[in-house]
Amino acid sequence: MLLGALNAFTVWSVPILISNKSWFFAIYFVISTLVLDFIFLSKRRIATKYIVPGVILLLLFQVYPAFFTGYVAFTNYSNGHFLDKETAIEVMVSNSFAPTGDEPIYMQVARENTTQKISLIVQDPRGYGVGTRDGFSIIPSSDLTLTSDGKIEKIVGYSILTDDEVFSILEEFNDFKIPIGNDRFYSVSDINAVELVAQNLSYDPNKDQVTDLLTGTIYTPNDNGSMVSEAGEEIEPGWTTTVGWRNFSKVINDERYRQPLLQVLAWTFIYAGLVVLTTFFLGLILALVLNHPRMKSRKIYRTLLIVPYAMPSVLSTLVWAGMFNQDNGVINKMLGASIPWLSDPWLSKFAVLLVQLWAGTPYMFLIATGAIQSLSTEVVEAAQVDGASPRQVFSKIKLPLVLMTLAPLLIASYAYNFSNFGAIYLLTGGGPTIISSGGIAGHTDILISYTYKIAFAAGKGNDYGLASAVSFFNFILVASISIYSFKKSRTIENMT
Amino acid sequence: MNTEDILKQKPLTPSQWGRKIAWRHVVGVAAVSFALFPLIWMISAAFDTLGSLSSQKLIPDRPGWDNFHELFTNPDQPYLKWLRNSLIISSTNAVLQMFIGATAAYALSRFRFKGRKLTLMTILVVQMFPQLLAATAIFLMLAELGKSIPALALGQTTALIIVFAGGALGINAWMLKGFYDTIPSEIDESAKVDGASHAQIYFRIILPLARPVLAVITLLSFIGTMNEFLITSVILGGNQNSITLAVGMQQFIDGQYNARWGPFAAGALIASVPVMILFLYLQKHVVSGLTAGANKG
Repeated sequence: MLLGALNAFTVWSVPILISNKSWFFAIYFVISTLVLDFIFLSKRRIATKYIVPGVILLLLFQVYPAFFTGYVAFTNYSNGHFLDKETAIEVMVSNSFAPTGDEPIYMQVARENTTQKISLIVQDPRGYGVGTRDGFSIIPSSDLTLTSDGKIEKIVGYSILTDDEVFSILEEFNDFKIPIGNDRFYSVSDINAVELVAQNLSYDPNKDQVTDLLTGTIYTPNDNGSMVSEAGEEIEPGWTTTVGWRNFSKVINDERYRQPLLQVLAWTFIYAGLVVLTTFFLGLILALVLNHPRMKSRKIYRTLLIVPYAMPSVLSTLVWAGMFNQDNGVINKMLGASIPWLSDPWLSKFAVLLVQLWAGTPYMFLIATGAIQSLSTEVVEAAQVDGASPRQVFSKIKLPLVLMTLAPLLIASYAYNFSNFGAIYLLTGGGPTIISSGGIAGHTDILISYTYKIAFAAGKGNDYGLASAVSFFNFILVASISIYSFKKSRTIENMT
Repeated sequence: MNTEDILKQKPLTPSQWGRKIAWRHVVGVAAVSFALFPLIWMISAAFDTLGSLSSQKLIPDRPGWDNFHELFTNPDQPYLKWLRNSLIISSTNAVLQMFIGATAAYALSRFRFKGRKLTLMTILVVQMFPQLLAATAIFLMLAELGKSIPALALGQTTALIIVFAGGALGINAWMLKGFYDTIPSEIDESAKVDGASHAQIYFRIILPLARPVLAVITLLSFIGTMNEFLITSVILGGNQNSITLAVGMQQFIDGQYNARWGPFAAGALIASVPVMILFLYLQKHVVSGLTAGANKG
C-alpha cells in the first residue's frame, strides 16, 4: 500500500518536475520508484528491502547536497543571480514595461462563446476592438449593440461579464498584455479600463542581446551572468551561471576575503583544540577526584555534574549569552563591573571557551570515569608492588592507558567542536566583527558560522556560491579528521 | 583482595578523613556550583515578577507566575506553537531515524549479500560529509524542489523531517549493526527453523531484544533535533508559524535581551526540565552507549 502511494506520488510529481525543468529530481524519483517497486514486488532480495529505502533518502539528502555544494562553489548563485537565464531575461523584459502616461481607456471583459477564452473589448481610438494575449483586432460596428451611455450591451460571438464575475477571475489579469504593435501593449489597470504601456527592453535570441528601445543601448551577457552595456551598466536580475574558479580565487587572492578566512580558519582549529583539551582535563580531574571509594556521595555528585549535558544546549547557550550581557548580565553584576564579555575580541573568545567548558566537561567526566573504572587493577598493583609512587602510577600508567582508550572519542569530539555551529552563533553570533572583513567575519567565527553568515545572515546579501566554496574547505578538513579517526580506531578492519 | 578493599575495612579517623576526603568534597561542591549556576539563575529569573535582568536577585523579591503568563499570551512570540512544532518534529524524526537505522542495521548484520561491504563503506564515507556543512546546498535544493512539490518547499515541516530522515543511515546504522552483532545468531536461526519469516524475526525477536539501545538512540535523536539550529533555521526560518523552539527562542531575545529576559527564562525552563528529567532518568543507558565506542578501539 505504501508502495502504491509512492507510485502515485511519483506519477503526480514527475510531470511537474519536468515542467519546471528539474531534470535531476525527475530522473531520481523515477529511478528510485522503479528500484523500490522491483525490490518489494520480488520475493527474493530480502536484505535490500531493509536497506534500500534508507539509502535512497541518504543519497538524495546527504550525498547529493555534498556534491551540489561542490557544484554551487563554481557558480555565482547569489542574490540577483537566482534564476536560470531564460527566466531572468523574461523578468528583465517584463519589468521594463512602463505606462506611457496616456489616459486610461474604457474596456469590458467578455468571454468568447465557443472557446470560453477571456477577451477584452476595448474602445480603441480606431473603434471597438477585441484583445487577447495573442493580439488585437477591430470588430465591425454591426456586431455591437450599445446602451445609451456608450457601453456594450451585446456583441456577436461573445458574452459580456458582470463586475462580480470579473472580480472572481481577477488573477487572470496578472500580466495580461494585449500586443497592439510597435512594442505597445494594453495592460489592465482597472476592472473596466486598460492603459497603454510600452516595452523598453527587447531581447533578441539570435544575437543573444538586450536592446533598450528608448535609448538604443545594447546590453550583452558577461561571464558573470548579467546583461551589461558597454558603459558597464547592468540590468537586474542576473542569472545563475558557472564562473569557474572565481569563488576560490576570491578567497585565496582577494585580500578582503583571504585575511578574514585565514583568521577564521586558525580560530576554528585553535577553538576546537582548546575545547577538547580544557574539557578533557577538567573532566579527567573531576573523575579522579570524585571516584574515591570512601566517598559516599559519588552518585549525587555524578548526577548533579551531568546536568549541563542534559540541558538542551541551544537554551543553555542562550542563557549564558544573557548572563554575559554587558549592562545587565549577572556575571558583571556579581563582579560589580562592566566588562564587554561578548564585544571584545579576546574576552569573547574566552567567553566562548568558558561556556564550552561548562557544556562539554560532563561528557568528558563520564567517559573518563568509565575509562578509569575499566582500568585493570592488576597493572596498577603490579606497579605499586614494584615501588612506584602514586604520582608515577598516575602519569606512567593510568594516564597513558586512559588516553589510549579514549583517543577515538577525543578525536570525535574534536570533529564535533570543529563544526559546533550553535556554540558560537547563539552566544556571540560570531562577533565582534573583524573590521577588515567588510562586516561579515567575526573574531569568534568558526568556518561553519562564517559560511552561514555569507549565505544567509550577514545582512550583506546572500552569496551562496562563495559560501559553498568556503564549505568545500570545511568538508575537506572535516573529512580529513574523520579519516584520521577511522584509522586510529581501526573501524574499517572491524568491518565483518 | 586489593588495596581498596583493605581500606574499606578500617573506618577513617576524623583527621584521616580531613586529609584524604574533605578536599575532594571541596572540589566536588565547586564543580557542582559551576555546573548548576546557569540553571539556578534561569529558575530564579523565571519566577522573578520584575522580569528584567537588571533587577534580578538570586531569590526574587516578589516571586510569581507573571513571566509564564506573559510567555503564553503574547502573540508576538507564539511559544506554545513553537513548542508544539518542536515536539512534532523531534518525535517524528526520532522515530523515523531510529527505524531507518535499525532496519538497515538488521540487514547489514544478519544477511550476507552482494554489495554489503560497499554499503557499509559508503555509509562510513558519507559520515565524513555531514549535512550540516551542506546547509547552503540543501537550501538551494529545496528552493528548487519546492517549486514542484509544495510539501518539500522551504518553510514546510515535512521538508525538514524528510531532510533529517536522509541523514539517519549515516548516524545510526553502524552503531546499531555493532549492537546486533552481539545478539547471538542462533536465536534467529532457531526461529527460522520453526518457520518464522525474516520480517517476523526482525519485528518479534530482534527489535524487542534491542529495545534498550533503541530507546537511547531515539532519546538522543529527539534531543539532537530539539537542539538543531542551523539546518532548521535555514529550512524553516522564513515561516514564523512552523519554526521550532530553538529557532524561536533565539529570535525571541535577539537584540532586546533585557526586556524579555523573564519570559525567556520561563520558556527555557519549561522546555528544558522534561528533557533533563528524561535524560537523568535514562543516564545509565546513555552513559553505556557513550562509552561503547571507547571499548571497541
